Amino acid sequence: MYAHRKVLADLGREFEAANPGVKVDILYRETEELRSAYQSAVMGGSGPDLIYGPSDQVGPMSTMGIIAPLEKIFSPEELAEFHQLALINYRDHLYMIGDRIGNFLMLIYNKKLMKEPPKTVEELTAIAKKLTIDTDGDGRTDQFGLAFNFTEPYFFVPWISGFGESFLSADGQPNLATKATVDAFTLIRDWKTKDRIIPSECDYEMANSLFKQGRSAMVINGDWSWGDYLEAKIDFGIAPLPQVKATGRWPTPLVGTTGYSLNPNLADDRRETAIRFLRFMLSSHAQEKFTQQVSTFPSLLRLQASDAVKSNPILRDAVPIMARGKQMSVAPELRAVWDSLRREYQSVLGGVSEPEAASRRAQSDSLAQIQRMNETLLPDGTRWIVLALLIGVLGYLIVQSLKGIKAIRSARAGSLKFAYLMTLPAVIALFLVVVYPFVFNILLSFSNFSLMTFRDWKIVGMQHYISAVSDWSFYGLLLKTLIWTFTNVFMHMVLGVGLALLIDQTLPAKPLWRTLLIIPWAVPQYITALTWRGLFNREYGPINQFLADFLSLPPLDWLSDPLLAFTACFITNVWLGFPFMMVVALGGLQTIPHDLHEAARVDGVSAYRRFWLITWPLLLPVLKPAAVLGCIWTFNSLGVIWLVSNGGEPADQTHILVTYIYRAAFNLYRYGHAAALSVLTFLLLFLLARVMTKKEEAIK
Amino acid sequence: MIRKTSSLLVLLLFSFIAVFPILYVVAMATHDNSAFAQRLTELDWMQADLKNFRKLILETEFLIWLRNSVLISVTVSMVGVSLSSMAGYAIARYRFPGHHWILRSLLTTQMFPASMLMLPMFVVLTQLKLINSFVGLLVVYSSSALPFCIWQMKGFFETVPRELEEAARLDGLSAFQTFYRVILPVASPALVVTGLFTFMTSWSEYMIAAIVLQDPALYTLPLGLKSFQASIATDWGLYAAASLIISTPIVVLFLALSRFLVSGLTVGSVKG
Repeated sequence: MYAHRKVLADLGREFEAANPGVKVDILYRETEELRSAYQSAVMGGSGPDLIYGPSDQVGPMSTMGIIAPLEKIFSPEELAEFHQLALINYRDHLYMIGDRIGNFLMLIYNKKLMKEPPKTVEELTAIAKKLTIDTDGDGRTDQFGLAFNFTEPYFFVPWISGFGESFLSADGQPNLATKATVDAFTLIRDWKTKDRIIPSECDYEMANSLFKQGRSAMVINGDWSWGDYLEAKIDFGIAPLPQVKATGRWPTPLVGTTGYSLNPNLADDRRETAIRFLRFMLSSHAQEKFTQQVSTFPSLLRLQASDAVKSNPILRDAVPIMARGKQMSVAPELRAVWDSLRREYQSVLGGVSEPEAASRRAQSDSLAQIQRMNETLLPDGTRWIVLALLIGVLGYLIVQSLKGIKAIRSARAGSLKFAYLMTLPAVIALFLVVVYPFVFNILLSFSNFSLMTFRDWKIVGMQHYISAVSDWSFYGLLLKTLIWTFTNVFMHMVLGVGLALLIDQTLPAKPLWRTLLIIPWAVPQYITALTWRGLFNREYGPINQFLADFLSLPPLDWLSDPLLAFTACFITNVWLGFPFMMVVALGGLQTIPHDLHEAARVDGVSAYRRFWLITWPLLLPVLKPAAVLGCIWTFNSLGVIWLVSNGGEPADQTHILVTYIYRAAFNLYRYGHAAALSVLTFLLLFLLARVMTKKEEAIK
Repeated sequence: MIRKTSSLLVLLLFSFIAVFPILYVVAMATHDNSAFAQRLTELDWMQADLKNFRKLILETEFLIWLRNSVLISVTVSMVGVSLSSMAGYAIARYRFPGHHWILRSLLTTQMFPASMLMLPMFVVLTQLKLINSFVGLLVVYSSSALPFCIWQMKGFFETVPRELEEAARLDGLSAFQTFYRVILPVASPALVVTGLFTFMTSWSEYMIAAIVLQDPALYTLPLGLKSFQASIATDWGLYAAASLIISTPIVVLFLALSRFLVSGLTVGSVKG
């Protein structure tokens, strides 16, 4: 990957040298972030001139109107020079031209550990069993027969075709309720639980690093990984995914392309330069560079027979594998298919559901999702309610601000004027960055803003709210969110107050303890949350190691069992949050006069009773507001769950409301719907806080 | 004695738990990438080196990101502290029309699911031509930290005896002079806490920065760090090394100021 970026940067500099006055800025983003950043940038009328990425972004982006058609820029003769797989058309327009084809999966094997790749699935299982070894006899596997990112549907669907059905029908609709899907589910599940030839928790990183260390004999991965493995000095060979004996078929790898699309919002001169750069990056000169340095398969037909390809054993072997492939669909609907399949597939792997039922559910669910994604809401009667509401609120605001202005006017040159002047800057800033976006968000929640209406959305009414409150899963999420909030805050309190009490005793080295225990708060969250994910790793994580060494427990599937994954998020969040409460409690303890305790001690009151009679009542006014604040933060804590469970895995079981909304907004482009959910979430939280503070009158 | 010993043991245990994940990051930073799929106890600590740190400083734009982050965070802290101390003081000392409104909204704004303000915020910034500039980030960061900070400052000012102001006013100082010369120095613990809080949020914020900044030359540390984390292969060694460097100043600040934290964090001192 880095090697790719390096070549890209070199070519950028080369172009700058050849075109004085042009500066090429290359911006790297991960696939997901690339999409959302690009979307919001183009919406705001800015963004990069060209976007380079995998072909599956063409569907959504062209539907939103944020990439421009290219067929008028390039002549038919020019286009004829490219391989068909590299020209990405969607709805009769050409939106992307690839500079390489590939992005397909294959079997990569370590030649040091095996001479010949397996021809059939049965062979693969047998070989992998032989090569799954516990070298030091400590009961843990040190070398696996096979490793791959098997929880991700992308790595799973080729097997469906091996069992005789495609997972998409010819017109791009999902086709998941088939026997082939069931067979493929069963195959991977057996590999994980019966044959145990793959690590039972294995994400992309894990598979990659096992293979690079020679601790996995085979890996299923794409052509993008070759450079990485060459760099790691692994002597590897490549082979097609093995044949399924029962059907006599070979799994069909999905072949994609990675290429360039053009931003439609460019001024003429910029556009000229961008197109010039685009031609340069697609030229045979640039493609050859990539082929030579990072072994990509060029998209220009005349280069495919060149020496650069022929002399490269890996590329040579890749040609027949690719020939079996099929062009990856670029329809936005694919997102919905991945989503539903991921959920059901992961619950099969986790032993929660049976393949049969899961395949049926995946089908019906993906159809439902596609329908939701493509619906364009039309205005209905509820629009008038919204309108009335908005007018009412607007009127109220105008009346209030008129009152305010009058008050400022009548504030005779005195203290009130001063007070207003002091608060004004903060109020303006808050209005700009918090209040206005919030109002905008409320407007969005009444709108039909989604994939289909990306550039011309309008207010349609209350539909999103009605569908949200009539969906049972919303209440399940709410319950989970409440449990999450209260258990977390309770633990923060118990640990925080407990530790503060311990520190507050006249112990030696008070500042030392205080400093050590503040660390979880001090280190940026996105670093520690990811670290905790590593700590929970099934095979190598210190937590399972501790359980095994000290409590003789079998390893727990922290990240692939729904309840345990939620617990893992919980533990991480408790760790992150107790220092804040501890500091608050320490501050509170400082305000308690010492002689109170002394007097009670002289009177012979036990330490336990002293706490309940003196410390606790005096701490309470300090702790209550902190608890309210803690509840608000925890209720809306997106980061921890997102990072620890990798966006809600397994099977979207670890979501609380905010993470679910985040997913809904960015995954299926249902911005209006997500906005409505977020407004509901806010209202619920508001109610909760009101109930909590009403009782206390803690905050006035 | 027994009680003391057991208290010490409990503190030791929790301190270990608090620090352990950081040790894990240290292990990753001082070994090559393979540390990722190995157990800590199996790592060869004699092999530990600073290669990743060297690579980070020499081969990536780390120093530029560091400069950007320092610049932004320091400015944000100053702006945040001045705005919130002014507003906090006015709210604590004066009752004016709209006073309740502001107080209520302080807690309310904390309740917005932040991820949902992104899109509208982006639109606002674009209209103001603040995209892809430090100023845009400055505006967003300073404002989003404000509610908590104002609340903080207000709580602290309420604990300051009114006699101070009265005396200052008798000496002929204006309202603002009183605030600036008499009250602010007294409020230093709270100012430190507020400053630290704003510094921390802007130092480690990723999501907003990812949307606002598009030019790599403007990247802040979290954005730079994220760029090591590709969908294909993360360079964990670099990631961990960068994480340590990013965490260090915050941790040092925290430790140096933890005394102030305890006395200045006034979430609790809310009186009607």
